[in-house]
Amino acid sequence: MHESPIIELGGIPIDLSIVLMLIVTCVIVFVIAKLATRNLSVENPGKLQNFMEWAVEFVQNLISSTMDWKKGKHFLSLGLTFIMFIFVANLLGLPFGIVTDYHGAEHAHIFGKEIVSVKEAFEKNPELEEVGVAWWKSPTADASVTMALALIVFLLSHFLGITKNTKNYFKHYFQPYWFFFPINVIEQFAKLLTQGMRLFGNIFAGEVLISVLLKLTALGAAGWVASALGLVVWQGFSIFVGAIQAFVFTILTMVYISQMIESHDEH
Amino acid sequence: MSINIPSFILALIAFVILYLLLNKYAFGPLFSIMEKRRELVMSQMNEAAQTRDQAVAYVEEQKKALEAARKEAYEIIEQSKQTSSKQADQLMAQAKEEAARIKEEAVRDIASEKNKAVQELRNEVGAVSVKIASKLLEKEVSSEGVQEELVDQYLKEVGGRP
Repeated sequence: MHESPIIELGGIPIDLSIVLMLIVTCVIVFVIAKLATRNLSVENPGKLQNFMEWAVEFVQNLISSTMDWKKGKHFLSLGLTFIMFIFVANLLGLPFGIVTDYHGAEHAHIFGKEIVSVKEAFEKNPELEEVGVAWWKSPTADASVTMALALIVFLLSHFLGITKNTKNYFKHYFQPYWFFFPINVIEQFAKLLTQGMRLFGNIFAGEVLISVLLKLTALGAAGWVASALGLVVWQGFSIFVGAIQAFVFTILTMVYISQMIESHDEH
Repeated sequence: MSINIPSFILALIAFVILYLLLNKYAFGPLFSIMEKRRELVMSQMNEAAQTRDQAVAYVEEQKKALEAARKEAYEIIEQSKQTSSKQADQLMAQAKEEAARIKEEAVRDIASEKNKAVQELRNEVGAVSVKIASKLLEKEVSSEGVQEELVDQYLKEVGGRP
């Protein structure tokens, strides 16, 4: 596998590929959203506005399927941002990759800083001839990013639970019996972990398989054909997986929020 | 797999910034436009329902008016029928009366004429008879009064058997 381009900035290890890809993703999402809402019209919406409204309605349906729309409408923007951000992020790694190869720790420099990860790789295994550094990949293929997204959901849902549904929030830890408390606590952290890891695992696996398929080209002509065929199939499937994971992440977000803010007294 | 804490924090910050930007510059206006469209559609639908109700009421009104007009027309026809038949009856009775009167008058006229004629004839015949008798019996008939009485009696007998 390729290394991440990590440099140290004032003692803090910063992954440049993540920085780059986060910026690219945010810019793409914002440009799409801004273009779609540039010439807003009530009577005569343009194609992009129609598409954007379709996406809004999709997320609206998704929210209404998990909670009361009166409570859920505040999360419409959040859901839309999640689904667009994750979808774009998932697809970014598919069309191409940017990899730089370094033949020795002394060559690995960027902006006058040495790339720590490359140096470490050479130190760990001195026989290595070269180390590849991946600059362009899906930001969601990195567990740090997906866990950050999951943490946002975790913090938001618990914050809403504590502030808007205080009694039920604390009561539900001791249900159905008080000794279920540890299990309920574990459940909350399991939710956080699974939500982030599911997204990371799906996208990361997709990228791994793409790089494996690319390595097939080393087998000669037959390898090129197999690689091309495999890539066509796998890239198509990855688009599907990317869309599904964006959807799953968003609906789980809404489910977790609704679990926290809905009181179960009315049953 | 490893969690890189700075990446983690950067992703958090990036996502929050993206959310705030999108919410302010893209989704906010979009949502308000969609809300406006929803309101527009609702108001148009309300308007359409109102117009339909109005139309229904109007049609109902028209139907009632038409019904009333028809009734009135029927009444007028019925009335005129009655009047005309009454008038015809009246005219008929009048005509009959008139005819009867004329006939009566005629009968009366005829009777009076006849009486008059008879009287005249009688007078004339009396006079003529007297003249004839006087011419024939110039000498024999001396007392005029007696003779005349005789003739009258005779003629009465004749007039009684016409």
